[in-house]
Amino acid sequence: MDTLSDIWFQTLRHVRTQVRMKVFIIINLFQPILWLALFTQVFKSLSELPEMEVSYLQFFAPGVVVMTVLFGSAWAGMGMLQDIDMGILSKMLATPVSRLSVVTSRVLASMLLLIVQALLIFILAIIMGVDVATGAAGVLFAIVIVSLLGLGFAAFSNGLALLFQRPEPLMGVVNFFTLPLMFLSSTMMPNSLLPDWLDTVRQFNPVDYAVVGVRDLVLEGWIWDDLWRSLLVLAAWAAVGVTFGTMMFRRYSE
Amino acid sequence: MHIIQTNQLTKVFKGNVRAVDSIDFEVDDGEIFGFLGPNGAGKTTTIKMLNTLISPTSGSAFVTGFDIAKNPAEVRKNIGYVSQDVGVDEHATGRENLTLYGHFYRLDGRTIKQRVKELFEMVDLTDYADKLASTYSGGMRKRLDIAMGLIHRPRIIFLDEPTTGLDPQTRLHIWDYIRELARKMGITIFLTTHYMDEADKLADRIAIIDHGRIMTIDTPDALKRSIGGDVVTLSPRESGESERAAFMERTRSILSNKDFVVDMQQTDGNLSIFVESGETAAPAIMNSLASEGIQVQTLSFSRPSLDDVFLKYTGRTMREEEGTRTTFVQMQRRRNRR
Repeated sequence: MDTLSDIWFQTLRHVRTQVRMKVFIIINLFQPILWLALFTQVFKSLSELPEMEVSYLQFFAPGVVVMTVLFGSAWAGMGMLQDIDMGILSKMLATPVSRLSVVTSRVLASMLLLIVQALLIFILAIIMGVDVATGAAGVLFAIVIVSLLGLGFAAFSNGLALLFQRPEPLMGVVNFFTLPLMFLSSTMMPNSLLPDWLDTVRQFNPVDYAVVGVRDLVLEGWIWDDLWRSLLVLAAWAAVGVTFGTMMFRRYSE
Repeated sequence: MHIIQTNQLTKVFKGNVRAVDSIDFEVDDGEIFGFLGPNGAGKTTTIKMLNTLISPTSGSAFVTGFDIAKNPAEVRKNIGYVSQDVGVDEHATGRENLTLYGHFYRLDGRTIKQRVKELFEMVDLTDYADKLASTYSGGMRKRLDIAMGLIHRPRIIFLDEPTTGLDPQTRLHIWDYIRELARKMGITIFLTTHYMDEADKLADRIAIIDHGRIMTIDTPDALKRSIGGDVVTLSPRESGESERAAFMERTRSILSNKDFVVDMQQTDGNLSIFVESGETAAPAIMNSLASEGIQVQTLSFSRPSLDDVFLKYTGRTMREEEGTRTTFVQMQRRRNRR
């Protein structure tokens, strides 16, 4: 009970913090719009290729959902860093607060915001003319898929924050990994257009499983082979992230 | 009854740094206990162990009757911790900060509301309770920080340098709160500070720690009495570094066999000589130095202050310490030099 109450009140705190940063909200809302508008223009000619069976907007919208979740969750550790830096974390750990609740509430708050963002992008994409093959149920399923991806990355990022306890290395690692993770997947290009080596590499990339799953739901329908695989791999990825985050928290708090 | 009792408490960090080295001390229920020492002496490490934030390498400690290693959860319920950093969430209002801590201590909603109101009155923040902490001044944040450590009415509160970086007037205010806590609410206070006047005015007893060891523990008056009658301070006429060094060395060797000299310490380019009586020692010192041809720029003597006590036990003045509140690297370097 105590743990649940601690998780609740801290999650509230983190969500409140994010909502109060108005600039952040505006950027987070406009960035996906920018991706959608910009990339569909840049890659417009791709629509004319025979490999591309749909408009690039239709193809790329699932990618934007995944990208937004990836970037948002990969930076989730910054809030934890601030708590460490300001002495908030050590002050908190001198209280009876549930140890488990500290990282859990942070990850939960990140996921809540990402889910809201993902839903908004879906709505936006639909307004722009994207047709979701599996309808509202498919959108919800897609949210489950990207939530697992976000859970893994948010927990991992918090773990890195607790490991480094400084912004520079965290920023370095996040910058180093996020863009390659996106490009080493079918986020921007259909599989058939990817070189062979990349088509192999992407099978080790959790981001790709999210993209494949969400894209199936938007373009094709309920392709359960793909969907199950996505769910399982991403659940495993989430477990890895949570384990890492928990280990780093233990290490920090001895 | 002892609210804190340590037994050979030790913390060894990586690289075999003995930050705290087998310390034994007791803090009595209801007292204001001053914990003084130079940077890197082991103050914060000790506080962190007593607050269950880090575990001891060996030895043990009981805080409010509970073993810090075996029963940290019970310790946490009974202590308040106000660290050197201001552990206040800037994106939340004062009330939100305090309320969150109320929940951490498992207080019910009604009690929290009541205590939040009382605490804001106590620290004079009632008018600012619903403003974001980012709009608070340094002193206001510290007051909120202290209030956050009090919401559960702990039996002891740890204040780690509560007035560092605050202006003199705010410091006086904080001193009042600290006294009120101890006298009116009966809360034991474990205080570390960089300011000698703060320790002198507030603390019932003072421990001086250096190199991870407790050098001495007593009341401020007894400590001052313990270092003899007076302190004579000499400064050399020459200002060059080598001349000063020569002055120190010669003066020390001349005075070391005088029976009225209790102890000598060198600091800030001055030499402090602890003597039984300044009135008789001053002319005697002048005469013996003059006969050896040593020139003195100024000579003064005074009753010993806590600064002198600190100097005697650590070989440094608090002023030097403040000037060098710096990086870990420099601390390491200083440690290696010794």
